[in-house]
Formats: sequence, C-alpha cells, structure tokens
Amino acid sequence: MKKEILIITSDNLGLKKEQFDYPSLEIIKCPVYINGKEYRESDHEYTANWLIEKYLKENIVAKSSSILQGDLIDIIEKNKDKYSLVIHVLMSHGVSAATTLVAENVKKIYRDVIPILNIDTRQTSLGIGLVLLKIIEIIKQHDHIDDILRLADEAIRNTYSVFVMHDLNYLFKSGRIGKARALMGSVLRIIPLVGISGEDKEGLVVPIGKARTFMQANDKIIEFIHNKMLEKSVVKVQYIVNSLGYGDNLDAVSDLSNKIKESVPYEKMITGQPHLVEAVYYGPKSYSISINI
Amino acid sequence: MELIETNIHEIKIRIGNVFRYLHGYKEYINKLNVFPVPDGDTGLNMTLTIQGALANMPDYKGKPITMGEYLKVFAEQMLMSSRGCSGVILALYCKGITEIIGQNDFSSDNLFKAFENGYKKAYEGTENPKEGTILTIMYEFKEKFGELMKEETDALVNIRKCIPYLKTVLDKTPDMLPVLKQAGVVDSGGAGFIILLEGIDREIKKSKNVQTNFPFPGILKITRNIRKFLAVKSSKFKTIVPGLHVTIRSDKLQNTRLNNIIEDINQFINSIKNNGSHFPRRKEIVNNLKDMEEVWTPKFKQRYCLEFVLKSDKLSTQNEMKAILDHESDNLIILKSDSTFKVHIHTNKPDLILKEVSRYGEFIFTKVDDMKEQHQNFISEDRIDYEREKCVFCLVAGEGFKAILKNLGADEVYCYRGIKPSVKILVKELNRLKSKNIIATADDKDILMALKSAASLSKSNVHIIETNNVFAIINLVMSISNDYDITDISGLIINQPKDIRYCGISRAVRNTKTTNGNPVKEGDFFCVFNNEIMFADKDPETVIIESIKNFINTDSLVTLFKGIHAKNNKNILSRLTRTFPGISFEEYYGGQYQYYYYINFEH
Repeated sequence: MKKEILIITSDNLGLKKEQFDYPSLEIIKCPVYINGKEYRESDHEYTANWLIEKYLKENIVAKSSSILQGDLIDIIEKNKDKYSLVIHVLMSHGVSAATTLVAENVKKIYRDVIPILNIDTRQTSLGIGLVLLKIIEIIKQHDHIDDILRLADEAIRNTYSVFVMHDLNYLFKSGRIGKARALMGSVLRIIPLVGISGEDKEGLVVPIGKARTFMQANDKIIEFIHNKMLEKSVVKVQYIVNSLGYGDNLDAVSDLSNKIKESVPYEKMITGQPHLVEAVYYGPKSYSISINI
Repeated sequence: MELIETNIHEIKIRIGNVFRYLHGYKEYINKLNVFPVPDGDTGLNMTLTIQGALANMPDYKGKPITMGEYLKVFAEQMLMSSRGCSGVILALYCKGITEIIGQNDFSSDNLFKAFENGYKKAYEGTENPKEGTILTIMYEFKEKFGELMKEETDALVNIRKCIPYLKTVLDKTPDMLPVLKQAGVVDSGGAGFIILLEGIDREIKKSKNVQTNFPFPGILKITRNIRKFLAVKSSKFKTIVPGLHVTIRSDKLQNTRLNNIIEDINQFINSIKNNGSHFPRRKEIVNNLKDMEEVWTPKFKQRYCLEFVLKSDKLSTQNEMKAILDHESDNLIILKSDSTFKVHIHTNKPDLILKEVSRYGEFIFTKVDDMKEQHQNFISEDRIDYEREKCVFCLVAGEGFKAILKNLGADEVYCYRGIKPSVKILVKELNRLKSKNIIATADDKDILMALKSAASLSKSNVHIIETNNVFAIINLVMSISNDYDITDISGLIINQPKDIRYCGISRAVRNTKTTNGNPVKEGDFFCVFNNEIMFADKDPETVIIESIKNFINTDSLVTLFKGIHAKNNKNILSRLTRTFPGISFEEYYGGQYQYYYYINFEH
C-alpha cells in the first residue's frame, strides 16, 4: 500500500504553495520581528515587497527566527492520524542550526506516534523550494523510505543557489552571513554574489564572486552555471528556479532571464516568488537563482 | 565557410585548451633547455608566445570571420608576441601554416602543404638552422604526415599517429646535435613542439598525462658529488663501498647521459665489491662528468637575447635589416609583416643595436634578456624558503589603486608611483614574496614586458597575466576566488576580458594637437582614449563631461578615479548625476601620476 506522506516546510522557500503539485503540503510561516513586533506573512499586507519598502523608507532593522516548535507540533497533531509518514524539508543546518534543533526535538517527541524524516536541504530560500519540487517528484514515483532518502540526497547534492546582493548588511544582521563575510567592507563598491551548494556538507553561505554592476553579476551567474554543468558533465540543467526579486531591480532580473534563455539549456524553469522572511535577509535590489543539475 | 560567433568561441576554447596543456609542461621544457644557450626558458618562451596571441586577439563579437582567417590573425599575433628562439620559430611555423589554410581548405592534402610551408618558413627564418632542434621535428612531422596520408585521409588521425614517431626522432636529437648528447637531454624546443601536438591530439581524445622532471641544479649536484666520490683514494673504497648502491630513478631523472653514468657507477661499485679497488673506467667516468658539466655551464659568446618590433618605412626587406645588425651577433631571426619587423638576436651590444636600428623607424617594443644571469639562476642551487604556496602580485601606479586591490584580495601590491621598476627590482620583488607560485600582473605594457624577463630570473613559478591597465587588474582580482587552484590558472590567463573601456584625463605640458588636428595649449586638460588625444579644454570638468558624452555606450556605471594631482579637486558627482540621469556614478582615489582622472565605463 502506498504511503500517505505529509510534507512540512517553512515559508523561506522562494516559491508559493500553489506552485507545488502536492496537496498534502504544510508551509509554516516564519516569524519576522520589526522593532520588537512580530509579523507573519499575509496575502496582501505583510509581504516581501512591504518589507523592502519599509527598509527603503524607514531605515528599520528586521530580524527573523527559526520556525517555532509550537507551530510544528500543531501541524503534526492536526495530521498525525491522516498520514503514515511526515517529511520535514529543512533549511540548511549551516544557515539555521536552531531550525534543525526544533525539527529533531519534534521528531523525538513523536517517535512512537508517527515517523518523521527530517531532510536537510543544505539550501536556503529558492534552493529549498527547488529541493522540495524534486522530493515531490521522488515520492510520487517511490514508496520506500530508503529510496526516497537516497534520491533526495542526490537531488540535494546537485542543487546550487546564487544570490546577488546589493547590500550584505541585511544578511549580516540576520546572522546568516556565514563565510560570505569575506565580501564585506570593500573600498570599491562591489555587488557581492553569495551562494550555497548542496555539495557542501557544512551547508554555509559562501562567497561566489564580486561584480561592479548587475549585468556583470549576471555574467558571473551564467559562468557559474556553465562551470557546474562542466563539472557534472551534463549538457542540460534539469530545473531552474529564477527569482524576480522584489520588483525594484527589474532590468537586472530580466537581463539574467534573457542570458539564461540564450545560453543555458534547461528542462524546466519556474519563476520564484519571495516571501516576507526572505526579504529580511536579502534586502532591496536582491535577486537569486537556484539550479538542479 | 563562414564562422558564426559560437564557432569562434569554440576555436578560442580549443586553442585555450592546447595552451593549457603546454602550460602544464612549461617547467619540464625549461629544464631541457641547453641549446642554443642553457638559460632554462624554452617552456616559458613558447607559452608566452601563445599567451600573448591569446591576449591580443581582436574580439570578433558579431563580426563574421572564417576559421582560416581567424587562425591567420592568431599566427600574426603569435609573431608579434613571440619570445626567444623557440617562440619565434614556433610563430614562424604557424604563420607558414596559416598562409596555406587561410583559405579554409582543411583537407589532408592542403594540410600537408601547410605543414610543408610552416617548416619552410621556420627554416628560412632561422639564420643558422641546426639539425636536432625543433626544426628537425617540424621536418619529420610533415614527412611522416605525408607518408601516412597515402593510407588514411583523416588528418587528425594522422597527426595522432605522427606523435609516437616524433618521440623516437626526439630521442635521437642528441645524436644529431652534440651539445644535447653532452648535456644528456633531448631538444627542448622539439619536446615543446611534440607536447603541442599532444595538446591538439588531447583535444581530440581528451586524455591527460602531466610530466615532471628532475630540477636541473639537482642534476649538477649529482654529477659533482659523483666526481667527489670518485676522487676518494682507491684504498678507501673498500670501507665506503659495502652497502652502497646508487638508486636514482631514471624516469625521474630524464637525463640519458646521467643515467648511463649512474649505471657505470653501479658497475664500478660492484667491481670494487667483487675485485677490490680495480676499475679501469674510473677516469673515463670522471671525464664524462666534467664534460657534461661544461655543457651546462658554458662560456657565453653573446650575453644578451635582444628582441624588438620595429615599424619602418625606410627598410623594405629582411636583408636590409640584416645588413644594419651587428655581424658578431648570432641566433638572428628576422620576420617581416607589411612595414613591421620582428627581430630576435643574441648579442653583446644590445644598446648599440637598438640605437642603430632606431634610425630606421619606430620601436613598438623592445626586450633585452641577460642570458648569463638567466643561466646563473637556472643552475644555481639557491633556494627560497617558500612561505606560501601561491600569491597574487600586482604592480600599479597609484596608492589609491593599491588600497583598492589589497582590499579586493590581492596578496601583494607594488606601487611604483611614477617610476617604472627595472627587471632587477622586479626579480627582487618576486623573490621577496617567498611564494612557490606567483600570479603576476601590471597596469602597464612596459612593466609587463619587464615582468616577463624577471619571471625567467625568479626562483618562483611566475604566471604572468596579460593586462595593460589597472581596470583589467581590478577585474582579474575580483574574479579570483579565495580558494583558487594554482594548478589550473590557465583559464585566468586566457579569459581576460577585452572590452574594458576607459579614458584618461591629463594636462598638456606643451602645445600639441588632438588626433583630429585641433590645437591643445600648454596647461589644457585633454582626454586620451585608446592612445589618441580626443579633445581638450581649459576646464577639467568640461573634458570629463565631454568624454562621458562621447564614450558612454549602454553602460550603467561610470567610475572616476582621481589621480595624485587631482586628489583635492572638488567632487563633481552631483553635476554628473544631473547631466546624465539614469547612469550611476562613483568616485574613488586612484593616486595615479600621469592622469588627473581615469574614467571607467561598465555595463
């Protein structure tokens, strides 16, 4: 008998719920704190664009936290009798150790009630969404837990994300900067490119490159993708999830889209949509891309 | 056959890959170098010749060009960038080939004609051609190719089939050129040529086999120690010899003569063990060793390797050029392309030659290598206690640029202010870095040339990146990641962007004219773009605005770098932002001496 699987993840995944062809999906909204007040994403009011505007107009400092244990328990309580397995798709432990801790605690609490597989995507933002897309494909075709884990791991190892940041301070203030700190404090203003690779066991955000303009940054992204294709000896990228950013840097985003269409062969391309919590880390004019090879 | 842009890209990648392959053997080839002088730079010269061509190839973006035409231009660029005997001969050979395939006939028959013409050009261009050198390998290559094409029509297959045969010919070069036999090596240029063919073959079958060899000072040390050992009194051998056996792996040594000597030594040791101290060939071995050492440490008849490119309307043939060059010199190679002469010569009087030749035209570049000094460096056992595996070393004119580059990640930046450093200073600087590998670059073409000479005198493995302006260096340093792999930096060498656009604003120290003939008065500010004076005005801000109006393309960012003389000038960014809405402007202190401002345009 095929397993009934509930998938849980949090909303820092760069894609909206309706972009996943999987009804049994629960997305936990991460809390965002602005001047001590907690916000959760809402359909119209508290969105990524809302926060970006606030950043630009009010010079605020925003922070986020990992998912709350209570939120996770509520979802499991509500669903434990309807499903035979829970897969919790997690942000990289290197980016948020607290999220991993919460997930492991809940897994222990429910060990005699329902099996929970915590899958560390070694990704953040769009990269989590992309790994989730792959996991959904996998569970539609495979029933056995070992197969799911093996294939999910393979998908994770072949997933890479690059973030073009106009200002690294947002990532720094959110405590997610990792090794990308090396790109801070340049005399010459640079546009940093940071990334996260599923191959990296530490799952940290690392520097990928530096550019002076967004067009140069896009050229570097294309070069990065080509190098990965060469490394993996593939002629086509399986999935590209391309973020539109926050609507404040459309020229750069559209330049990247054009460059991808011109020079990167791919199977599927999806346009991502950032959530409130993602705007906390990346700030204005940022955009990103994730690929699965 | 018309090539579209993607095919040009493909050719660039292919040539780049062949270059990478040769680059991997650079040190190996250097260490075989004994002819015409043992200065240990054959590998360096061959790689710099190709590297220079790669760096100076025009950008054919959007312009249709055939493969034949592209290769023809590439061979021209090789000639202009060629260094040393081996580099010049290789460039001549490639020019000869492209004269035939320039019409895009790549059939076996035509390729044979091309190889024949390549050999002819290389042979004729060499003043005193010798057998047992790269010329012999080039000759044997076209002969073997001609023989094979009677049975096989695929030219690439035939090139591959030639390689093992050429290796047997290379092994015989010591029998053709006594100096190689005395030194115990095969010809370095010939070895380099075969490695290039292997690189081409590898492009076909994608195999890899990097070879290393024994450091040359080590070989000299071995010969001297063996001589010392043989100088011990016969009576003492009995006490020394038991347990003694010379075990040096011949495949590591890569020196046939020394291998034979070591075999003799082992025979000698066995003979003492078995027969007491009697060994009749002892003196023969000592003489053999002395002879070998002499070849590697010769007296230099001509001390300097001089190369120059001269643009001349007064000289029309190579013979006319030859007539004005020093007759006591040797290794003369003269190339001519339109009104440009490229000359390679070994001489004791480089200054006199340059002075004499300067009467006949304008130098595009000159280079003088002190081969004696290079040789000393080659054979010296001096070691640097390397403190790091790799480092990025930049030479720039201004303190502001130094700070910017250090901050971007350059390990060492030498600021030469207004005074360009000599080769001697550069060698000192390179050695001071105590780095096993150095990626070196400069913001000036003359310094780059000097760096190339300094590279052959440095104990480090110096990889020179062909930049000639500070923006290319900024771009380079920005593209080097923290954890770059030093064994795979040829990509950096090859992939330097060609579309860096900038202009300089300087001040006239005397009355002059713009390229269009408009007057520039002493004290006026003027704009220089692509080495041409474009326009001038009394007010520097007017020149800046005019420059931006003229040179801005689809750029989104314009950056001003103030020179040392403009350090305290008022900030004009707000005026520029008002004048050019939609463009981002930034201003930094560069500290350059010659230009009040540099203006850099970026997409």
